[in-house]
Amino acid sequence: MPTFAIVILVLFSAVLAGVVVVRPVITASRAGKILAFGVFFFLPLFSLVAGMENEMQRSESTAFCLSCHVMEPYGKSLHIDDPGYLAGAHYQNHRVPAEEACYTCHTDYAMFGTIQAKFGGLRHLYIYYLGKPPQPEDIKLYKPFNNRECLHCHLGARSFEQGATHNADPATLPAIKANTLSCISSGCHDTVHNVGRWGDKVKFWDGGS
Amino acid sequence: MARRLRIAGILVIVGLLVEALCLVWSKPIAFVVLVCIGGALIGLGVFFFLYSLVSGPHESTEPARTALDK
Repeated sequence: MPTFAIVILVLFSAVLAGVVVVRPVITASRAGKILAFGVFFFLPLFSLVAGMENEMQRSESTAFCLSCHVMEPYGKSLHIDDPGYLAGAHYQNHRVPAEEACYTCHTDYAMFGTIQAKFGGLRHLYIYYLGKPPQPEDIKLYKPFNNRECLHCHLGARSFEQGATHNADPATLPAIKANTLSCISSGCHDTVHNVGRWGDKVKFWDGGS
Repeated sequence: MARRLRIAGILVIVGLLVEALCLVWSKPIAFVVLVCIGGALIGLGVFFFLYSLVSGPHESTEPARTALDK
């Protein structure tokens, strides 16, 4: 449901509740009792669930993640005009949905992964508002990046399964799939965001959103 | 009952207004405010409403039946 529709529903519910508060006598009739039940029970709960669902959806958007100041350089890294930058290459070529770029790579593709990602987001909020947020270049993942997140899309893809480097050693591909050889921290795809280490020569692509 | 209904209504209205503000507020803290403040107010309002239903005096619109009516 679009945000404006939920806002209208919420305001409509509030107005109806206001009518019953101002004139509680209308609840004396049978129709009034049904109205009161709708206004004080069904509509508020429905509005709350719809609002929470909307916020959950919004929390997966790239714009949401980049609305914190410390994340701005990470958003900028998505526009680096260099295919060697993993995050930028994925974002610019729509290998991940551009409007959910952060979430697509940084969620946990396991059972309850979405819930864990939401709790991780709450931890971000706690640190951002009540703790001491680190400098953007000092931000680290809570735990090492799991290959599972890469393989969610790449597993079975020809470029991955038959890639020359992946098959140079017969032990490489099984090790990647078993998460014993990291995609991004074993020296192969280790240029991801590289915030704080761009140098002066890096250029930015001015396309995208 | 009307007093409890008013309290329930005010809680629900304030909770809904908080929710509406959170929906148009595009900061990450909006979600927490929506759940912790808006959700709590709406939940309390709904609870007060249900409480007013079960604790209020039972007023029947039908005339009371007596043994003579049977």
